[in-house]
Amino acid sequence: MEAKYDFARKYREQILQCSRCGFCQAHCPVYGSTLRPSLNARGKMLLLKEVMDGKLELSDELIETLFQCTTCASCFENCPSGVEVPEIIKQVRKDMVDIGSCHPAFKGMNEVLQKHDNIYAEDEPEDFERERNKQAENVYFIGCVGSYREDEATLATLDLLDRLEVDYTLIDEVCCSGVLEDVGYQINGDLVRKNLDNIYATGAQRVITGCPYCFRTFKNKPQYAELREKGIEIVHMSQFLTDFDLGVKTDKRVAYHDPCDLGRHCGIYEEPRDTIRKIADDFVELPHHHADALCCGAGGGVRGAFAKNSIAMARRRLEDAEEVGAEVVLTECNSCAHNLGNAKLRKQKFKIQNITEFVNELMEEAE
Amino acid sequence: MDEKIKQSLIDIVDEGNYTDNLIDMVSYSYDASEHSHRPSCAVWPGTAEQISEILKLANRERIAVIPRGAGTGLSGSAIPAEGGIVLDLSHMNEIKEINFESRLAVVQPGVVYGELEKALAQNGFFFPPDPSSGKVATLGGNVATNAGGVKGAKYGTTKDYVLALQVVLPDGRITRVGSRAMKSVSGYDMTRLFVGSEGTLGVVTEITLKINPKPTATSTARATFDRLEDAGKAVTQIMSSGILPSVLEILGKHTILAINQNTDLGLPEVEAMLLVETDGYTKGETDFQIEKVIEVFHRNNVKEVRRAESESEVAELWQARKSAYAVLARIETHFVLEDVTVPMAKLADLLKGIEGIAGKYDVQIATFGHAGDGNLHPQLLYDGYDPEQVKRVEAASADLFQLAIDLEGTLTGEHGIGMSKAPYMKLEHDPVAMDVMGGIKKMFDPNNILNPGKMALG
Repeated sequence: MEAKYDFARKYREQILQCSRCGFCQAHCPVYGSTLRPSLNARGKMLLLKEVMDGKLELSDELIETLFQCTTCASCFENCPSGVEVPEIIKQVRKDMVDIGSCHPAFKGMNEVLQKHDNIYAEDEPEDFERERNKQAENVYFIGCVGSYREDEATLATLDLLDRLEVDYTLIDEVCCSGVLEDVGYQINGDLVRKNLDNIYATGAQRVITGCPYCFRTFKNKPQYAELREKGIEIVHMSQFLTDFDLGVKTDKRVAYHDPCDLGRHCGIYEEPRDTIRKIADDFVELPHHHADALCCGAGGGVRGAFAKNSIAMARRRLEDAEEVGAEVVLTECNSCAHNLGNAKLRKQKFKIQNITEFVNELMEEAE
Repeated sequence: MDEKIKQSLIDIVDEGNYTDNLIDMVSYSYDASEHSHRPSCAVWPGTAEQISEILKLANRERIAVIPRGAGTGLSGSAIPAEGGIVLDLSHMNEIKEINFESRLAVVQPGVVYGELEKALAQNGFFFPPDPSSGKVATLGGNVATNAGGVKGAKYGTTKDYVLALQVVLPDGRITRVGSRAMKSVSGYDMTRLFVGSEGTLGVVTEITLKINPKPTATSTARATFDRLEDAGKAVTQIMSSGILPSVLEILGKHTILAINQNTDLGLPEVEAMLLVETDGYTKGETDFQIEKVIEVFHRNNVKEVRRAESESEVAELWQARKSAYAVLARIETHFVLEDVTVPMAKLADLLKGIEGIAGKYDVQIATFGHAGDGNLHPQLLYDGYDPEQVKRVEAASADLFQLAIDLEGTLTGEHGIGMSKAPYMKLEHDPVAMDVMGGIKKMFDPNNILNPGKMALG
């Protein structure tokens, strides 16, 4: 019998491999903050199996769970049966959109990117007091969160690049639109073209991204394959920073939050730590770290669609920071920094920053 | 769910703790077994008093109530076999007290095993049963199924650690059984009756557990055998050697081959592999024990013995055993993981018998398990969408249970009866025992509202 939905055509074997052991419950951030098994990866796979078996139809009733997944991949990382849950979720969201069942926030995100060139529908980009579209060795690609929500962090990162005498330029960047793939839609070809042309115009041989998600999109998505074919190197800021002798130190107790997009999705765990070890003698790991890191709750469209639970996930992550007595929680993702910052309680006195911003501050103090 | 009953349940637990949403109903239809059936609704109670009110209502209205922890059980004990109300206890997850002086911990049923372990480890203590689902399974579920694990031979199972319980009976009465004292022979042992009763007699709302100081030193070794009989004899001779290993695990040939085909571990392809750990407080003590075990291996035609000299070598030796479940879970679309258990002296007979059954029904059976307490995990791998294969697996399972009973063993060492083994209860228990068990069930739960359809109790 021909499968009714694309998710079943592509992932039937994978979904059947789920042995219902439930071990994902120990790792799923949505389950961890709600204790509701239907929102866990196993709950999602059981629904899809029933859909494949013809016991259930995809419908609006499934939105609450199928769209409530940060695609953090901690389930996949720990699944004895190796089920690639995030990929399955992304595909089934497309099937849901096709039949007209979609969370309004996700639908809104697609509509915004049809009309605007960033996810916040902002018309006036921050100029960060720098000339754009210059000829340079490197393009620094900020990303939507860094451009429109975490502009202080971005300004600090750019100051740091200046201090390190990096030859870079900003461009008239638009959303990489990778996130649309996560929320049931397709990457927007017009936006891709604009980014590619603007990068080429600078003559740069390297793109440094501030956002781990943009990094993943440039690095892996076929729509951006042209960049790679032209031999343009794509690096995340955390990788780029490891080559520099920073010459500053902090005596504060510093912990590192692994962003899912950088860690589990790209395997970049050590570069940020190498940088932190250079500047902090008192570096401590959070109780959940590396592949076992807890998600900040922002990814996969969850921050926009399920704000309350998104904050609850961030709060759980901040409890980790409290447990080790961190004074500074560093990360390398504006989206994580943004969500963790929003969730921070008044009694939690630690700072939450990107590594670049923190290093820049130390350098400023030393000058 | 009837609107009036729904409203009564909401009045008891509040609206946010009641659900009849489709996504929850599907999720609560399953555990880790092959069974499924949808409930009518589910509630997340927070107190024993709320549970008491729910049970009073259900008893009055004759509605089934199915207590549930993390749903990791392998025998269908948490499946709403006849529909009804799922009582998800995972929100009652407070560790209420850890008392190292009295060597006990008091927990609510929704506390995850791993969370208690973490809390105890800070002071060098542990709760030994160590089920392999420990990072997610709840202690309430451990109690309900009398869960065991790799340390069973030396440290026993859950029942050996439960000192006292608070239980809500099917008629809503709340009672406490057992004692905080290490020893108590006061009255019938009601605590033991509830442990392993799979939620058919009452709902456990508080557990008092005995905790142990955790040995700080271990020694680990792996032995391979070309003949199954030699591995079996080695196990029984270790048992009579005066040494009690903290872990004694076995991997059969099919499991080893499956691991080699699906990983790059490159294990020696032998008939059987034994993994042994001894524990104590000094390295001298644990080395002494493991050398005695190795002497036994040598007396039984061992092919190769490897001692782990460092932490990384320990991890390497363990990797084969730890990867078994994941490797076997990926081979076919479906599997059944059994837990037949026999007296240790019959272990080799059980292993040989399993091979015979695999051949007879042309079913892939990979075996591993806890040799140290005679508890094996034959994993039957099959395509659940092929009715012919399903039939052969069912026939093989029936033979397997008969084999365990013929070898003076038991249907289940640690997973429980649930739905999977209910049809085989009479193989193990004579009519008088079945009659008495049925009578006990009737006395506690005359209307059969608590977890009906399990353990062949009606």
